[in-house]
Amino acid sequence: MSLPPDEHPPGLVLDARLHLLDRQVLDVDGVPVCTVDDLEVHGVDGSDLPDGTQTAFVTSLLSGAVLATRVFGGRPPSSRWHRIRWTHVADVGTTVALGVRGDTLDVTWTERWVRDRVIGRLPGGRHDPG
Amino acid sequence: MKRLLGVALGILTAIGGFLDIGDLVTNAVVGSRFGLSLAWVVVVGVIGICLFASMSGRVAAVSGRATFEIIRERLGPRAAGANLTASFLINLLTLTAEVGGIALALQLASSVEPRLWIPVAAFALWLVVWRTKFSTMENVTGLVGLTLVVFAVAVFLLGPDWSELADQALSPTVPAAEGHAVYWYYAIALFGAAMTPYEVFFFSSGAVEEKWTVKDLAQSRLNVLVGFPFGGVLSVAIAACAAIVFLPAGIEVSSLSQIVLPVALAGGKLALAVVIVGIVAATFGAALETSLSSGYTLAQFMGWSWGKFRRPAQAARFHLTMIVCILVAGAVLMTSVDPIKITEFSVVFSAIALPLTYLPILLVANDPEYMGEHVNGKVTNALALVYLVIIVTASVAAIPLMIATGAGS
Repeated sequence: MSLPPDEHPPGLVLDARLHLLDRQVLDVDGVPVCTVDDLEVHGVDGSDLPDGTQTAFVTSLLSGAVLATRVFGGRPPSSRWHRIRWTHVADVGTTVALGVRGDTLDVTWTERWVRDRVIGRLPGGRHDPG
Repeated sequence: MKRLLGVALGILTAIGGFLDIGDLVTNAVVGSRFGLSLAWVVVVGVIGICLFASMSGRVAAVSGRATFEIIRERLGPRAAGANLTASFLINLLTLTAEVGGIALALQLASSVEPRLWIPVAAFALWLVVWRTKFSTMENVTGLVGLTLVVFAVAVFLLGPDWSELADQALSPTVPAAEGHAVYWYYAIALFGAAMTPYEVFFFSSGAVEEKWTVKDLAQSRLNVLVGFPFGGVLSVAIAACAAIVFLPAGIEVSSLSQIVLPVALAGGKLALAVVIVGIVAATFGAALETSLSSGYTLAQFMGWSWGKFRRPAQAARFHLTMIVCILVAGAVLMTSVDPIKITEFSVVFSAIALPLTYLPILLVANDPEYMGEHVNGKVTNALALVYLVIIVTASVAAIPLMIATGAGS
């Protein structure tokens, strides 16, 4: 016998659209990582296009090129998505806090690219402002 | 004693930092054509920027979130993206005008062509953005910019007919030679010059840069509420100088040398040297603020790591944005466009863009999730609503007036 679904689940209730989308993501040191540009949602049966009749889970935060599809519409192939797995999320407030360092994440590749190819190579680029 | 010094430094920096090329040019042009009959707009603008800047500073200090993060979160990617595009381009236009202002001021001092000064100015700008500490940058340009007080001194030295000036300011009428549409067009320009949106991006991001907390709120409010009105007084002094010297002769100000001419007439070579130093400091300071604002707005919209308190390598895309913007501004100026013309357009477009930043700030300043007990009080909200009407009216009326008057000509 299973319990009937709880109408008012205990604890903090988050609205994915209201509390997650377009929030700033900070890493474990408080460094900005990205903005939540979109969410990856899976149904309980593992389908990646839940139709609304079954319980769905947020499995990843998405960032990067996927932003363009929220402005102009469409859906990029999932091989192009840059994900932050939901298991990395430590807290959701006015920002989304991660429990890992942003440097190691897939979504910050453009930051690393600009740092290694341009900014880090200019004199003084790796020193504290004086 | 140290605390008192800190307060004084903050206020003096706010006075010096208030004026930029937009205020210099618009006030001088308006003074030469309308006398002091538009001085009331400066008063309206200064109260507006005090309200708006202290609100965005409070939001940043309490929530730790700067303006464009909030705009993105409140408006979503489409509306915020359109807002970013408009704000970013107008900010770039303002940056171009400021760099042009530096070059023109250096030309006055040296008689060397502005196009030789533009690369020098752009490089110096980048060096400061790249290496200098935020607080040093703010304090030095603000304090040196205080030398613009010489405009106020010049008003006294010129020995004007005070009753006539007071009459122009207190019972404003449209001069016979000018049409009503032109009068209102310049009213909007002056309003835009006093309330430029970049000051808000800069102020709220600066609060994060300097790690303000609720404890610093009183100090920041004092800086704004005392410093900006004194800045407004200097704005009116610039208009008064132009009104005394140019209005009776029917000469319209159209160059930087004309803007400083009343000071030179009143105080000779020494005063001229002082005013040029002041203009270089004011435009250089504003160029720094607009360069940083270009990085702030884009980085905050995209969620990138930003801030001068970080090493450039730890905010790489933020620094790259600023480098690109400074290069674009320099390249535009090298085509020999007139920086004074760019300035005149940038202040009007600033007025058009004001509601885009003002409304989201007002909404968040009333949101307890962000602000807790520091949400807007009733008086602030009442005043804020009055200003919302003014800002939206100015924004809507700007383009029709610009077309009807041929941009004020």
